[in-house]
Amino acid sequence: MFWERNIETLEKDQLQALQSERLVRTLNQAVQSPFYKKIFKEYQVDPTKVKHCGEIKNLPFTTKQDLRDNVPYGLLTLDQKEVIRLHCSSGTTGNPIVVFHTRHDIDSWSNLMARSLFATGVRDTDVFQNICGYGLFTGGLGFQYGCETLGCLSIPAGAGNTARQVKLMQDYGTTAIHAIPSYLNRLHDFITAKGIDVQKDLKIKRMIIGAEPHTEEQRIRIQEMFGVKAYNSYGLTEMNGPGVAFECEYQCGLHVWEDAYIVEIIDPKTFEPVPDGEIGELVMTTLDRQGVPIIRFRTRDLTRIIPGKCDCGRTHKRIDRITGRTDDMFIVKGCNVFPMQIEAVLLQIPEVANNYMIKLETINDNSEMIIEVEVLSNWFRGDIARLDSLKKQIEHGIRNEVLVKPIIRMVEAGSLPVSEGKAVRVQDLRNLN
Amino acid sequence: MAYQVSIFLENKIGHLRKITTLLAENQINIRTMNLTHTSNDWGVLNLIVDFPDKAHQVLNSQNFSVALREVIALEMDDHLGGLDNLLGKVEAAGVNFTNAYSRILKAGGEAFLILDSADTEQAREKLKKLALVPLDDEIVYGK
Repeated sequence: MFWERNIETLEKDQLQALQSERLVRTLNQAVQSPFYKKIFKEYQVDPTKVKHCGEIKNLPFTTKQDLRDNVPYGLLTLDQKEVIRLHCSSGTTGNPIVVFHTRHDIDSWSNLMARSLFATGVRDTDVFQNICGYGLFTGGLGFQYGCETLGCLSIPAGAGNTARQVKLMQDYGTTAIHAIPSYLNRLHDFITAKGIDVQKDLKIKRMIIGAEPHTEEQRIRIQEMFGVKAYNSYGLTEMNGPGVAFECEYQCGLHVWEDAYIVEIIDPKTFEPVPDGEIGELVMTTLDRQGVPIIRFRTRDLTRIIPGKCDCGRTHKRIDRITGRTDDMFIVKGCNVFPMQIEAVLLQIPEVANNYMIKLETINDNSEMIIEVEVLSNWFRGDIARLDSLKKQIEHGIRNEVLVKPIIRMVEAGSLPVSEGKAVRVQDLRNLN
Repeated sequence: MAYQVSIFLENKIGHLRKITTLLAENQINIRTMNLTHTSNDWGVLNLIVDFPDKAHQVLNSQNFSVALREVIALEMDDHLGGLDNLLGKVEAAGVNFTNAYSRILKAGGEAFLILDSADTEQAREKLKKLALVPLDDEIVYGK
C-alpha cells in the first residue's frame, strides 16, 4: 500500500544514486543564492565537483543563525517572480527565518505530504479535519495541500473553537484528524462532557499528531481515549514543514523521505557522524527544492536512526521521536519558542525586567508555559488592579511574540533563583520522557 | 491619615503565618486584617497595625513585597443598621472604593470601617463636604 511504490521501496544503491543526482542539482541551484555563493567560496566548495551523496560530509553546515542573518532574500536562488509562497517562523525577535517556494516546491511538498498521509492509511475516501493553525505556520497549508493532492475531503478547520470542531466531525463524518497531542486531550474532555461517545457516535479512524514533543505513554493514552491509532509526524519550516518524516502503519519510527532529504546524525560537539542507533543531532539537506535549497541544516533536534528494516517495505531510513534539543529552544502548544524572544518582551516591562522564570508544566494533560514574575517592593503599591494589569500586559506581549498564551504566575520577592551571569531561566517540568 | 500595610502573598500553606509570626516577634499588634485574593494563586494581605512604619520596615527587611497605603477610617456604630447608615453617607458623597473591612472597638458601641479608594485624596474631599471626617490615627492604631 504505497503512494509511490517505486520511490518508497527503492533499494539502497538506487536511492543513493537518486540522492547523488539530486544533491548535484541542489548544489548548483544553491550557489545561485548570495548566501551559498559566499559560503561555498569561503569553504572552497566547488559544487560542480561533487559527484556522490557521501561527499556531503565535506560541505559546510547551515545554521538557524545563518538563515536569520540572511533574511529576507539571502538564500533565494531565483528571481522573486519565480516564487509563489513564503512561510516564516513566528516572532519578531532576531528576524524570523523565511523560506520561499516555487510552484515546483509546493508541488513536491504536497506530494511528500500525500505520501506521508497515505502511509498512515489515509485514502481519498477519507474526510480529513486539519485542526491546526493556518497562515504562516506550515502545519495548516502543509496538511491542506497534502490532503488535496491525495484527494480526500479536507476540512480546513484551523485551531481552537472545540465546539465547532466537534460539530464539523458530526456533520461531515470526519474520519481522520491532525492536531497537536495536547489538544486531543482537551478535545476528548469536551466530547465526553457533551455526552458523545467518541468511538460510537463519531467516525474517527486515525489521527496524526505532531509539532509538539510527547512521550510514547502520552501517545498510548491518546490512542486509548479515541480507540484509534495516532501517528507521529515530524517537520520544520526550514525543510518545508510537515511531511519531512512520518510514521507508517507499523508505528516504529518515522520514515524520512530520502528522495527529498539527506539525513545525517552528528555528534553536536565534534560534528562527526554517529553510528546508526546512537543519539545525535539531526542534520538535513533538501534535495528537491528550488527556491531556497538548504545544505546540511543543523536542526538542533536530537534523535537517532533506527537500525534495520521496517516491516512496511519502505526502504527510507527511520528516525526515532525527538528526544531533546541542543539549544535552548522549546516547543509548547505546537509553537517553537526561544527564551530570548520572551526575554525581549519582558525587558520592555520595567516591573519585570530580569526578574522572571519560564516553567513548562503539564497541567491537566496540557503543556503550559508559565511565566513566573516576582512582585518587588520597588513597584508594589498594594493594589490588585496594578497586578492584574501587569499580568495582562505580560500575557499580551508574549502572546504576540511567540503565539502561545502563557500563564502568568506572580510570586513573592526572593522566590526566584538569583541570577548570576547566565541564569537558567527555563525549567521544563513536563512529563515528556 | 491612616496607613494600611499591604503585603503581596502567594496562596500557599504557611505564608500568612510567616507574617503574623514576624510581626508578633517585633511587638507589633494587628488591629484588623483583610485578605484580597484573585484566582491566580496569589493575593494581597492588608493590615491595620499599631505601628505601620515599623511593620513596613520589618517586613521590607525580610524581603517581603510590602507597601504602605493610605486608607480612610470612618467611624460607625456596632448597632443594627450601623454599616448601612454609614454607607448611605458614603454613597451620597459619591465615593467609590476598591476594598473595605472593619473593626469593632467596643461591642455594641464604636466600630470603624476602612475604605481603600483608588484616589484617597479625592475621596476624602468628597466625604468632608458631608461632614464625614476620618477617625484620628490614635484611635485606628489603638494607641
